[in-house]
Amino acid sequence: MILADFGTSYSKFLDLAEAAPQPRILATKELDRNLKVDLATGHNGKRFSQEYVNELIALARGAEALIAEPTYLVLDCGSRDIKYIRYRDGQLLDMGWNAECGASMGFTIELLERYYNLDFRHLPVPAKTFSVTCGVLGISDIFDAITSGDGEAEAVARFVKGIAINAYRFAGSPEKLYLSGGLCDNPLFVQSFPCQVEPLGRFVLLRGLRHILTAKGLESK
Amino acid sequence: MRRHASPDSHELQTLLDHHRPRRVGIVGQPPRAMIAELNHRACEILDLDALLVSADMEATITILPRVYCAILRTVVLNALHLELDMICIDTGPGKCDSALYVATILRETLAIPVVTTVNRDAEPCGHPFCRAELDLTEKFLAITSGVKSALPSANPPLPCRPTAGFWGVPPRDFAILAHFPTTTHVYGWSRCLENKTPADLALELHYNPEIPTVFFAQSFCAKTALARHLAGRHPKALYLDLDLHTTSSARAKVQAFLELTGATP
Repeated sequence: MILADFGTSYSKFLDLAEAAPQPRILATKELDRNLKVDLATGHNGKRFSQEYVNELIALARGAEALIAEPTYLVLDCGSRDIKYIRYRDGQLLDMGWNAECGASMGFTIELLERYYNLDFRHLPVPAKTFSVTCGVLGISDIFDAITSGDGEAEAVARFVKGIAINAYRFAGSPEKLYLSGGLCDNPLFVQSFPCQVEPLGRFVLLRGLRHILTAKGLESK
Repeated sequence: MRRHASPDSHELQTLLDHHRPRRVGIVGQPPRAMIAELNHRACEILDLDALLVSADMEATITILPRVYCAILRTVVLNALHLELDMICIDTGPGKCDSALYVATILRETLAIPVVTTVNRDAEPCGHPFCRAELDLTEKFLAITSGVKSALPSANPPLPCRPTAGFWGVPPRDFAILAHFPTTTHVYGWSRCLENKTPADLALELHYNPEIPTVFFAQSFCAKTALARHLAGRHPKALYLDLDLHTTSSARAKVQAFLELTGATP
């Protein structure tokens, strides 16, 4: 049985038929158009699967499997959108999915790293930030800052910090959050949050799919 | 323009005798006395709050701003495309100030009479469909079609034990209703609508704290404040506002909320 999280930029797969299943990543633009997996989530999930689970449910189930505490907030920052789930005492308290105003933030961060030939692993968190509510609109701030004499790296770092702060506020300004998604691998982004952050990595939704199978009795733990 | 009162019985008779309307568009819920008179005269009543034409919403942008209540934009779209003899718009506390402004604009835009009313009906007619076990879309179709009659439902369904709640106005796009279980109870202004008491704030404020409830309002509607406030007080609530259409993220939020709170299997 193959599980998959079909994101906007990257797709993540887990083949449960393997002896020791390990997640694999493929660029979504390189997928075979006729591909079909057994169970999927993600923006492109319906196209490529027999059965689809919506992303908020996959995120919630993945968080349930990975986080031992009964009270927590998990925030998923993807290429195209941001979403969060908040639990209190094991009960759903709140959720949000910002697909419009949070549009394309992750995608834009990756685009800027390549365009300006930067390495986010070595950029310090800047003192100042931009007020960014949309990846596309936020680019104007970068251009303005560079025109005003700021270095490219400094301007892009302020943009990344602005995105982290926007995501933090969208999630209700928690004291601590668990972070899901590819941006967990971006230390500049992770360190830009004004709160405690526990990165869970980019396979939380895949873990959620596996958790759903286990709950249905279709796979043992 | 009438802001503080509906036409009295004599004025209404005179108005209807003079214009002899056959097709009357209504907005909100005009008083039962007016609906009864239109029923008596066998007028065809069209609920302009509902999706009645498939015309492009862009046709309204010369009349209303793009960023405006989608229900009232729909009213204008319907009014521009339907052949009507008269429009009755409720502008009382059971509707909204925006309806008053839309009435003013339509009166200056259309060649037909636009009558404003202030519905303060307080006699409850019951809200059986709000508590019935029925597909939620069917439930809302029954509730909204009820505004065209002065009489309560002839065959009221029996109530069921609720497992979920939907609080708010009838959404412009019923697609958001698809994921709810048949045991969803309806609250808020929709309940007032079926009860034929649209200005009953106490009934509008009522919700059931025992069941997971979606508090819904149309984007850019004043009721967004009340929906969000009540959602904050309810122990298992999702606040949701939608504009013209049900977005995929809104659909997913409702589906996830209902599943994660145990309202659906």
